[in-house]
Amino acid sequence: MRNFDWFIFILLLCLILFGVIAIYSASANKIGDDLEVENYYIKQIFWVFISLILLYLIFKTPYNLIEILVVPAYFLTIILLVLVLFLPEIKGAHRWIPLGLMNFQPSELAKLIVILMISKVISGQHLSGTQILTRSILVVILPVILILLEPDLGTALTLVLSLFAILVVSDLPSLYLIIMLGLLFSIVTSFSIIAFLIFILIFIYLLFRINLSKIVIAFAVTVNTFFFIITPIIWNSLKDYQQNRILSFLNPMRDPFGVGYQIIQSKIAIGSGGLLGKGFLSGTQKNMNFLPEHHTDFIFSVIGEEFGFFGCTILLLFYFLFLYRIARKISSLKRKEFRYASVGILAYLSFQIFVNIGMTIGIVPTTGIPLPFASYGGSNLLINVLAVGLILKFINERSIFN
Amino acid sequence: MSDSNPLKIITYLISGFFLILLAALFKLQILEGKKYDQIAENNIVRIKVTFPIRGEIYDHKFRPIATNKPSFNLYITPGRIRNKETVINFVSGDFNMDREEIRKVIHENRFRLHQDILLIQNIPYEKMIRTSEFLNYYPSLDFKTEAIREYAFPNHFTGHLGRINEKEYLEKKDLGYTINSYLGKNGLEQSYETILRGKNGYNVIQVDASGKYLQFFKHNLDKPAQNGADLILSIDNDLQNYVVDILPPKERSAVVVMDTETGEILAYVSKPDFDLNIFSSNISQEDWNKISNDESKPMLDRVIHGTYPPGSVYKPILATLGLESGTILPETKLADCTGGLLIGDRFFKCWWEKGHGRLNVTEAIKVSCDVFFYDLSTKLSLAQMGDFTKLNMLTVKTGIDLPGERSGFFPTREWYVETYGKYTSIIGQKVNLAIGQGEILTTPLQICAYFAALANDGVWKRPHLLKKSISKNANQPYEIYEQKLPVSDENMKLIQHALWKAVNERYGTGTAASVGGVDVCGKTGSAENHMGDETHSWFAGYAIGRNYKISLVVFLENAGHGGSISAPLAGKIIQFYNGLEK
Repeated sequence: MRNFDWFIFILLLCLILFGVIAIYSASANKIGDDLEVENYYIKQIFWVFISLILLYLIFKTPYNLIEILVVPAYFLTIILLVLVLFLPEIKGAHRWIPLGLMNFQPSELAKLIVILMISKVISGQHLSGTQILTRSILVVILPVILILLEPDLGTALTLVLSLFAILVVSDLPSLYLIIMLGLLFSIVTSFSIIAFLIFILIFIYLLFRINLSKIVIAFAVTVNTFFFIITPIIWNSLKDYQQNRILSFLNPMRDPFGVGYQIIQSKIAIGSGGLLGKGFLSGTQKNMNFLPEHHTDFIFSVIGEEFGFFGCTILLLFYFLFLYRIARKISSLKRKEFRYASVGILAYLSFQIFVNIGMTIGIVPTTGIPLPFASYGGSNLLINVLAVGLILKFINERSIFN
Repeated sequence: MSDSNPLKIITYLISGFFLILLAALFKLQILEGKKYDQIAENNIVRIKVTFPIRGEIYDHKFRPIATNKPSFNLYITPGRIRNKETVINFVSGDFNMDREEIRKVIHENRFRLHQDILLIQNIPYEKMIRTSEFLNYYPSLDFKTEAIREYAFPNHFTGHLGRINEKEYLEKKDLGYTINSYLGKNGLEQSYETILRGKNGYNVIQVDASGKYLQFFKHNLDKPAQNGADLILSIDNDLQNYVVDILPPKERSAVVVMDTETGEILAYVSKPDFDLNIFSSNISQEDWNKISNDESKPMLDRVIHGTYPPGSVYKPILATLGLESGTILPETKLADCTGGLLIGDRFFKCWWEKGHGRLNVTEAIKVSCDVFFYDLSTKLSLAQMGDFTKLNMLTVKTGIDLPGERSGFFPTREWYVETYGKYTSIIGQKVNLAIGQGEILTTPLQICAYFAALANDGVWKRPHLLKKSISKNANQPYEIYEQKLPVSDENMKLIQHALWKAVNERYGTGTAASVGGVDVCGKTGSAENHMGDETHSWFAGYAIGRNYKISLVVFLENAGHGGSISAPLAGKIIQFYNGLEK
C-alpha cells in the first residue's frame, strides 16, 4: 500500500465517524435518567465495515478487470432501474428494492456506474466535440429518465451535474458548454419573460463576440426559446409533491406539515446551536419529532445543534480538505478515463454535500439527498465509499505508471 | 482547452460553495443564534393538531344509539419524566393502574419523547379535581378533556372503539391517527370508520414563553378539523328494544327484522349481549375475563358470525329447485309418508311420527313433511342442490355493511370424500341436507334476506343498517343493491301460497306466528345439531301490513321446536311492529 493516499482515506474515516456519532445522538432519547438509543448507529457501523471491506477489494482489483465490467454493469443498472419501477411503492416512490437486510437503491448504483460509463465512451482519442456530446448524452439520458420516473429528482440532477462537470474537463470545445449553460439559463428564466429577454440579449451578444455565423446563432436562439416555452409545460406535468418541494423552498410556510416545516425546524435546531452547540446528546430539537428524517437527510441539523458553529466549521473543513485533496490529485492523473471518472465523482460528492447542508439551513430546496458519509443509510454509504475507493485506486495506478 | 484550467474552475466553485455554507451558518448560528435559541427554548413555532369530532350514530327517527360524552383523561409525556419511579408510584397509587402496565406504556413510547401518550381514560370528575393539584409535582402528567363513546343499549351492530395498536398506527399514521387514537374495532364503527372519523386540522401557533403571540413567520395556514359524518341507521330503537325484552333472557338467540323493499334492517338482535360502554375506557382485566370466558359467548354476533343448520326453513329452497328443474310439478305427489321413508337400508324418520301420507309440494311445505323432501333429494344431485342454494344467496356473504360476516357452508362431493373417505354414502347425506340438517350452515341474516326476497317476488336486496350518513356538506344515502333470484313467477306464487298456508291454515306448523289484520307467511324449522339435545328453533317469514312489508327471522339455539318457541315470538314482534306503523 505504498502509494495509498492515506490523507484522503483518514479524512474519509473522520467524516464517517462524525456521522456515526451524530446518528447515535439523533436516535438517543432521555427519559428521566435513562438513556434509550434506537439501534440505527449499530446498523450504520455494520455498513461501515462492509463498505471498507469493499473499498479494500476494489483497490486490489486490477483496473483492467473493472474496465471490462463497466459495460455489463451499466446495462445491469438499467435493468435494475426498470425493475424498481415495477416494485410496490415505498414512502410514495418506486425507489427501493427490498432485500431484507436493507432497501437497495438502484439509483445510488447508477450514479457511480454512469460516471464510469461516460468516462469510458468519451476518453477515446480524436473524438469530435459532437461525438463527445452525443455519446455522453446517450449514456446519461436513459438512466436519468428512469430515475425521474421513480421519481427521484435529486439523484437525476446529480447525474446531470456530474455529466456537465466531466464535459468541462473533457476535450469538448467551450462553445458547446456556453450553449448548454445558455439552456440552463433559459430554463431558470422561463417564469419571467423580462428576465428571459435580458438573458437572450446578453447571450446573443456573447455569441457574436466569439464570431459565430448568423445561422448558428439563430439556431441557438431558437433552441433556447424552445426550452423557455417547454419548461412551464414540464413544470405543470410535475407531481404535486415535486412542485411543492420547489415552491416550499421559495415560501417555506406554505406547507407547514411538510417540507417547509421541516426546514424551519431544522433552521431552529441549527441556529439554536450557537457558537459551541448544546453538547453531545443534549440537543432538544431533534426529539421533537419535527424532523422525521433526523438520522438520515437531516443529520446535519443534529450536528449543528449539538456542536454549534464550531463543530459545523470543523466538519465543513473536513469535507473541504477531502474534496480539495481529491481535486488536486485529479490534475496529476494522466489517463483521461481516470480523470473524467474522478471529476464526475468529485462533482457528485460536492453537489450532494452542498445541497444537503444547504437544505438544512434553508438556502437550497429540499431534494431528499442525504449527506455523503454522514447520513444513515446502507446503499448510499456503500456507493460513496466505493467511489472514494475508485479515486484512491486511480491515484495509485498513476503512481505505478510513474 | 488546457487540462488544469477547468479543474481550477471546479476547485474555485467548490471553495465558493463552502464559503457560502460557512457564511450562511455564521448568520444562522452566530448572528441569529440568540433568536433561534429563544425559539427553540420556548418552542415558539408549533403546529397544534386539532382533532375532528367523531360522527354519532342514530336510529331512523334520530334517536341516539352511539354518542359522544366528555371524559377526563390522564396523559403522560415521556420526555418530561424527571423520575420514573415516583411517577409510577403516583399513578399506580392514585389511579389504581398496574405498575407493570405503566412501565410498559413508558417503554413502548420511549422514542416518542415529546408526544402526549394516553394513560388512563374516563377518570371520575371528583378524582380529577382531587388529584390535579398534585400534578404540579409531575410535569410529565396532564389531564385533558376529550370525548368518549356512549352506547345507548347493548347491541352487536355498532361495534365499539378501541385504542389503536402499534401495527394499526404504522399503517394509519399518514391518515392523521396518533398513538392515542381510538378507532372502530368492529361493527359499524369499523366499517364506517373513515366517514365517522372526519379529518384532522391544525393551527400554527407562535407564542413566546409569556404566552404572547408572535409573528416570526407570516402565515394564514390554520385549517379547521373536519368533523365526522353522523350515521342514520334504519334501526328502530323501539322495535329493537322490544325484541330484546321479549327474548327469553337465558337463551342464545338471534333476531333480524328487515324492510323487504329496501333491505334496511329494522331490528338486529343477538343474545346474550353485553355493555359496550366497558370498552370506552380501559377495560379491566376482570371485566374482560368475565365476558370472554362466558360459555354463552356474549361477544359472538349470532346474526352474521354464527352459522347454523337452517332445518326446515330451508325447505322452500329445495321445493323451488324441484319445481324450477322440472323434477316435480305443482301437483306431483311424492313418496307416501308413513312417519318416515326407507332409503336403501336406512329408515329416515319424519318429524310427524303418525305420517302425512302422500302430499304435493304446497301441502308438504305447509305441514313441513320431511319425507316429501327426502324423496325429492334422491332425484336431485348434490351439486345441483349446492349451486341452487348459492344462487339464492345462502352460503354466500350477503355483503351487509358490517365487518367479518361469515358465508356459511354447503358441502360438495369432494368435501365428503376428503372428510369421510371414499365410501361415504352421498345419498344419505343428501337426504339429511334436504331438510336443512347435516353439514349445511347458514347465518340467520342470510335466511332473513332470503325470505325478504320471497316477499319481493324473487328480488333479493342486500341487507344493510345504514340509511344515510349526514355531514355538514352532504347527505349520502346508502346505495341499494338488488338481484333477481332464479325462480319463475308461477313457482314464486306457489311458494308464497304454501308459506301463507303454513301460518294461516289448520295443521300449518307456523300458526303461532299469525297476527290478526296482517298477512303473515313463514316457515318454521327445528334443526337437530351436535351442540345440544334440543333442536335449534327457527321461524323465518314475512308480514305484509297496510303500508309496510317486512321479513324476519327468529332463531334460538337449542331451544326446542320452531313452531312452539320461535313462531309465537315472531307473531309478537309482527304485532308490535304493526302497532308502530299504524
